[in-house]
Amino acid sequence: MKVSLNWVKKYVDLPEDLTPKQISFDLTMRTVEVEDVIDTSEKFHDIVVGKILEVKEHPNADQLRVCIVECGEDEPKQIVCGGSNLYEGEMVVVSKPGAEVFWHGEDSLVKIKESKLRGVPSYGMICGATEVYLESYFPLEDEHMIVDLSDVDCEVGQNVSEIIGMNDVVFDIDNKSLTNRPDLWGHYGIARELAAIYKCPLKPLPEAELPKDLPEYRIDVESPEKCPRYAALEIENVCEKPAPIWMQTALLNAGMRPINAIVDITNYIMLSVGQPTHGFDRTHVDGSHIIVRNAKKDEKLTLLDHALLDLTEEDLVICDEHDPMALAGIRGGIKDSILPETTGVVIEVATFTAGTIRQTGKRFDEKTDASIRYEKGLDTQRVDQGIAMAAKLFREIFPESKIVAFGDVDPTPTTRNEIDVTQEFLDVRLGKALPSEEILDILTRLGYDVTLTDGTYHCVVPTYRSTGDVSVKDDVLGDIARVYCYENFEMKPLPVNFEHAVRQPKEQLDRKIREYLAFRCGFNEIFTYPWIDEKYIQAAKIDTSEAIRLATPPAPELAILRQSLIPGMLEAAVKNLRYYDEFRVFEMAQTFHKGEYHESCEEEILPVHKKLLSGIIVGRDAKKDFFDVKGVLESMSRFCHMEDLTFKQKEKPSWADDKVYLNVFHKGKNIGSLGQVSVQAMNAAGISRTQVAFFELNFDEMIPLNSRTNEFHHLPQYPLVEQDLSILVDESVKWHDVSEAIRHMVKKYEFIEEYRGKQIPEGKKSLVFRVWIGNDDSTMTSKQIDKKMAAVMKSLQKKCGAALREE
Amino acid sequence: MLERLESIKELGLKKIKETETLDQLQEVRRELTGKKGELTAVLKSLGSLEPEMRKTVGMRANEIKNHFAEKIQEREDEIVENQSALDEEIDLTLPGNAVSQGALHPITQMQYDLNDAFLSLGFEIFSEDDISSELFAFDNLNFPPDHPARQSMDTYWIEGTEDKQGAERLCLRPHLTGGSVRYLREHGAPARFVYPGRVYRNENTDARHERAFYQYEALIVDKDLSFSSGKVMIQALLEKVFGRKVNVRMREGFFPFTEPGYEIDMECQVCHGKGCRVCNQNGWIEVAPGGVINPNVVRAAGLDPDVYTGFYTNIGLDRFVMMRYGIDDVRFFHSTDLRFFEQFK
Repeated sequence: MKVSLNWVKKYVDLPEDLTPKQISFDLTMRTVEVEDVIDTSEKFHDIVVGKILEVKEHPNADQLRVCIVECGEDEPKQIVCGGSNLYEGEMVVVSKPGAEVFWHGEDSLVKIKESKLRGVPSYGMICGATEVYLESYFPLEDEHMIVDLSDVDCEVGQNVSEIIGMNDVVFDIDNKSLTNRPDLWGHYGIARELAAIYKCPLKPLPEAELPKDLPEYRIDVESPEKCPRYAALEIENVCEKPAPIWMQTALLNAGMRPINAIVDITNYIMLSVGQPTHGFDRTHVDGSHIIVRNAKKDEKLTLLDHALLDLTEEDLVICDEHDPMALAGIRGGIKDSILPETTGVVIEVATFTAGTIRQTGKRFDEKTDASIRYEKGLDTQRVDQGIAMAAKLFREIFPESKIVAFGDVDPTPTTRNEIDVTQEFLDVRLGKALPSEEILDILTRLGYDVTLTDGTYHCVVPTYRSTGDVSVKDDVLGDIARVYCYENFEMKPLPVNFEHAVRQPKEQLDRKIREYLAFRCGFNEIFTYPWIDEKYIQAAKIDTSEAIRLATPPAPELAILRQSLIPGMLEAAVKNLRYYDEFRVFEMAQTFHKGEYHESCEEEILPVHKKLLSGIIVGRDAKKDFFDVKGVLESMSRFCHMEDLTFKQKEKPSWADDKVYLNVFHKGKNIGSLGQVSVQAMNAAGISRTQVAFFELNFDEMIPLNSRTNEFHHLPQYPLVEQDLSILVDESVKWHDVSEAIRHMVKKYEFIEEYRGKQIPEGKKSLVFRVWIGNDDSTMTSKQIDKKMAAVMKSLQKKCGAALREE
Repeated sequence: MLERLESIKELGLKKIKETETLDQLQEVRRELTGKKGELTAVLKSLGSLEPEMRKTVGMRANEIKNHFAEKIQEREDEIVENQSALDEEIDLTLPGNAVSQGALHPITQMQYDLNDAFLSLGFEIFSEDDISSELFAFDNLNFPPDHPARQSMDTYWIEGTEDKQGAERLCLRPHLTGGSVRYLREHGAPARFVYPGRVYRNENTDARHERAFYQYEALIVDKDLSFSSGKVMIQALLEKVFGRKVNVRMREGFFPFTEPGYEIDMECQVCHGKGCRVCNQNGWIEVAPGGVINPNVVRAAGLDPDVYTGFYTNIGLDRFVMMRYGIDDVRFFHSTDLRFFEQFK
């Protein structure tokens, strides 16, 4: 919302030395966020009033004249001009050197310089209305005419902004910061805040001065629950003419285009007191009878452009005896428009409830200046202000006009909330004991009626804050705190608590795992969206029958919420393969599955959430990548201090290679998998000429150790003997079998390599590994070594059919 | 014979001098003083000489042998002193071997920085699930029944529940605040905890708007708290994150779940309060809305608002991280583009 400082000053006398910057700061700190402060006179710099002293022929051009103009400089200036209405003594608008104007045919502003026109020197420019933002004040009759200010109250040399009231400051206020304050949607509300902040008096608004014994204008409110008040003024002897300059400027500065005096008056009232008003041509109201009711089934509203709006039975409409004329509080139809031939109007000043306006506005996707205000919740008493202003403004702008009828239906006036607040409550929660005079002063200036008895403030909230804004004592506290200003409260540090050290092993595990993957294993952490492109879900062949879907997804193909992180990983792989051949990424995030789960209470049934940890290694060597992934998971338990994981092939994930996958178990429970992504899945995802190894684990099933479980062992007193063994076994023998055969016989053992090649017979493979053997109480003799190694070989032979490979 | 000795000596000393490696020196040592060396041969042939001569030559030969030993030792010391671990030439400007190359997401990093700060102040970390219900996302938080955020234009409702109400109408959580009531219901008060996480809004994306973004919310609930403590907390946090004292200010703001509510601004870190494009010329940047927990929310958490009060603060992590690094497009965070993420090691 744009707030004009000149307008606000009509209602409050602000201290003279107050700068716009200071006002902007104080409003921002205490009331609403001012986003910008605009000096409206700035664009009129060097554009002044001049008086033509002499008009001469141009020696070289028939269309141009040479004028001598007095414009507040030391001496009169010579200006060449092509205007068709130049005469001596005329008061004109002069753009001096440095001024910026709209030049005929140019898109952007042009800066005026002293120059020569057809050989004759010219100081500046005598301007037409469109050249200097004046077209709404001085409509053009023909494009060669310049602005004639002779009938306007002005002086030579005066800046043009002053004569139209554009010497103003506009505060651009963030509408979001106003959502809870229906009272601030007009200049009077802002003035009230400033009066409270600077402790200066707020001027009263005009009282309604309606002629006595007016005939009643007939109004029937058939839906009083949606329309707590409806008033109408019938006024005759008006016409379609422009509003006075001051009003046009006020509207322009508040961000609204002037249209004609009648419409402008209704807008001016709305921008003054926040009360929307609406003008109907009185001849369009059939039967001179307004009915406020819900629309009927299949009823339609004809709009200005003759389009038809299909109304529903829930929409509130303003009707005459035959048809709907307007969508209540939102927009008018063709029947309500003010036309050139309009001579009488019916002015609507009404209250509609926030809910009905919001619902109908949403249904038709309409947001207007009126509906925005109604949506906040307006009090019915504000209608009185609207009526009073309307009567006053019509009398001023149309002195010949006459109010001929008045109707007012007020079924449910807004009641004032009453709240008791104790001094003790305020002292504790504010963290500072404010004197009661200060509290009474702040609240009174904001419009409360307050009485203090035995330490309790009985607060009667003004109607304009009683529509939902202020209803409990905390709201009253908020008003006191903000006007006193948060900055003026001393900072109180938090009490320290020594009793309860924070201990959250699972939270720590989450962090340890991420840091392990990033810092030790070379993975980059990524975030993907929870909604996944169906292409990648299908590529991973994930069954979506148990998936959760969004009602209004970001895009049709993004409706399914993820059940696995793998599709997102595939998408990330595709994106990054454009720039990288090899990379590793991981993500830890929640996935969603049909089911029933209560996070906080029985009545809330949520789908099942699983927090999954997933990663991929993208590269060229499938075997290496697979064992890299396996190594990452094997070391994870130790490095991240969690309970052990074991690996076994059991149940293939839908996206995995038939051969290259393993399931991951914790205490016998399958908690995830690792392996290679199948060629088919990669093709479907659009990945080619590369390999993707993956892992995915259910983090919820990973259990942090309560404390570190590392154990200290004395260092061996006698050296261990290190021996490499190279054995031949059948293809069917697994490393697991070999390690089972030797693990109880040696101190330590380590796999070195697996080998198949020329020297190895078909169906066999060679395994090379290292063992460490030793005595606990002495150094091994060579005889003992030979004996031990022979035993190891014998066990290998027996359990794995192994033979020592001849070198 | 003596002449032969002298020529052996001269030649020997020259050879010693010419050696450059310990291996060469070892070779020379064998040649000069070894069993098959010339000097040894001379000593072996002493028997065939005159006794007089034998003595002279013998003495001289031993002298030379000792001299050789001395010089070889000297040379050995010299060589060791000048020896390098590498025989070949080395280009010291070649890059070192790369260290493991992963990184945490910059938002995770910021979250951990904040976690460290809050943990040191005795806060617990709490996580709420991503899918919540209208009951927790709106009703409990004092959102009016017709609040626009409840509409599908703003919130992602779950298919099949969008026309239901309250606990049965499910959504991807639009903010973290609903989690506060969950925690308080489970743990009671007094309490101090943070609950970071991702939230979802149905909006069009551009450089400044995302559909999924991260927040970091903190709540303290206790008896007799005054709202100004909230500012102290924020100041402490910013100091931790930016590594220096950062000026903050607290001003009026409105949120359904607070009363009073406030906005916390920090001094623009680009212009230090003078006004620049980043802060829209006003020197301050909105970083953390907050406020005193609304009594209706305290009630929803099963606590008595006449006994307990508290305050929230909610930091927009995306914005914070963008400020930290000068990132100009919020959509990078979900881009999965490693060219972006590799910058945050």
